[in-house]
Amino acid sequence: MSGVLGANSVLVQAMLVNLLLALSLQIPLRSGVFSFAGLGSYGLGAYTAAIVVLRFDHPALLALAEGVLLSGLVGVLLARLLRRLNGLYLGMASIAYGGILAVVVANGGALTGGAEGLYGVVADLGLTEITVIVLLVVVAVALSERGRTGRAVAAVREDPELAAAMGVDVARVRFVVLVAGCMVGGLAGGINAIMLTNVAPTDFGFHLAVLGLTMIIVGGARTWLGALVGAAIFTWLPIALQALGDWRTVVYGCLVAAVAVWAPHGLIGLAGQAVRAVRRSASRRKPPGPGAGRAPTGAAEVDLLAGEGVGASVGRPM
Amino acid sequence: MTVLELDDVAVHFGGVRAVDGVSLRVEPGRIYGLLGPNGSGKSTLLAAVSGLVPLTRGSITYAGLSARRHSPAEVARSGVARTFQTVRLLADLTVLENVLLGTDRPGRFRAARRGRARAQRAAAMDALTRVGLDGSADRRPAELSYGMQRRVEIARAIAMSPHLLLLDEPVAGMNREERAEVRDVLCTLRGEGLTQLLVEHDVQMITDTCDEVVAMNSGTVIARGDPDDVVREPAVREAYLGKRWGRRADGG
Repeated sequence: MSGVLGANSVLVQAMLVNLLLALSLQIPLRSGVFSFAGLGSYGLGAYTAAIVVLRFDHPALLALAEGVLLSGLVGVLLARLLRRLNGLYLGMASIAYGGILAVVVANGGALTGGAEGLYGVVADLGLTEITVIVLLVVVAVALSERGRTGRAVAAVREDPELAAAMGVDVARVRFVVLVAGCMVGGLAGGINAIMLTNVAPTDFGFHLAVLGLTMIIVGGARTWLGALVGAAIFTWLPIALQALGDWRTVVYGCLVAAVAVWAPHGLIGLAGQAVRAVRRSASRRKPPGPGAGRAPTGAAEVDLLAGEGVGASVGRPM
Repeated sequence: MTVLELDDVAVHFGGVRAVDGVSLRVEPGRIYGLLGPNGSGKSTLLAAVSGLVPLTRGSITYAGLSARRHSPAEVARSGVARTFQTVRLLADLTVLENVLLGTDRPGRFRAARRGRARAQRAAAMDALTRVGLDGSADRRPAELSYGMQRRVEIARAIAMSPHLLLLDEPVAGMNREERAEVRDVLCTLRGEGLTQLLVEHDVQMITDTCDEVVAMNSGTVIARGDPDDVVREPAVREAYLGKRWGRRADGG
């Protein structure tokens, strides 16, 4: 590991966990499924990994896999249970999953460590392994944004009825993304528990929902790049703003409000708009070729008024 | 072989009988027109055929598949494509990507698994060329005129390579030239054997394009047959113009 990366390895690990957390919310949201189930799964993945490492001496990778699997199974049950809910109602119902889990583990006795949680979750999981795991998840998510899957997801988000009329199984897409979000959330929790060597019921409270949403709002909710940008900003910004003390919260608030108002698709959306504007202006500067003089939209000649003795046209030299 | 068969189809929304007892047999390679004033049940009937609204009564059979028991996605996958009354394009995707959505229908390009993306792109570009928009493939829908957006919708439906094409007022908002272009596209598709069910207010478009017309009012069929005969039916004129003006138009 190079010098800078090595010196900041804890922050890099935290950023990777934050990236997974953001993706756990973004994957369903990209299909228009407003689900916080990934946050509950974050807790489930964390506790599963901690318990199997502490009680059964499972290696880190196996512990993570078990956390992901259990999170996926619970995700399947949740997706079936909540399949008729949408929008804010689904958000409220799915956030309750994390709340219920927090109460269960706080009262789980010796198995979960009660209100204090579990300590000494020591397993061999380095930055390289975490990076490779996160990279695999990111590649899978990036692939799901392209081609047929990407178009189906966009259609389900923007217009479910249209998607169905195009042959997309809307219910199946919504089911899959909710379960996938749960699995990624479980992975994030498992890595975090092993990385910090402890887990407590307060780890996956409401603050985690705020952090996750903030990351994808600021970065951009439509692509994994947005989650990456959001995770990077909200991992490193607290360090950069340490001198401000409690005023950091004000800076966070202003940043989120500014992005929500002026860049509703996040910083990545803003960058995309800028790139498109540059391309458009570059194409306008190109010397006119054959067919110049037609309407800039490529529109065929359009009769605006076609009454008797009255005529006007767009795109045709008068 | 019948492409589509509607038997005593009824769609009620509470006390509103949007469609009430419509029966229709659609033969292959023909264009059928659904004519009627606003609220006559044409679009609801189209939604019922595409599986988007449940039937209150009756049955719809398309190539052995009943829309009452299947989801809209299954109906679409069986080869029924449609356009909507209002433009429904995905704003974040380019025109080409919107049309590619039509080519994503499961079962299409099964043989071309390796070159699937290339085959899909070629099919989408072909559909765009048919509606005269091949030069706008990389644009966003918002950059196109309303008439062009409607043509993109038609291209998307064509790209599904359907057996039955349902068109809900496809030339609404278009100028004369664009209407003529769309009419030519539909006639070409008929020549290639594609069956079409066309909902349209434009009587000229209906008489120029359709082989058979079904006129509806208040959810029921009031006339059917040859387009020129149907538009002259007193009941149809009355439905459009009201009793007084309908009689005057008939010279009564």
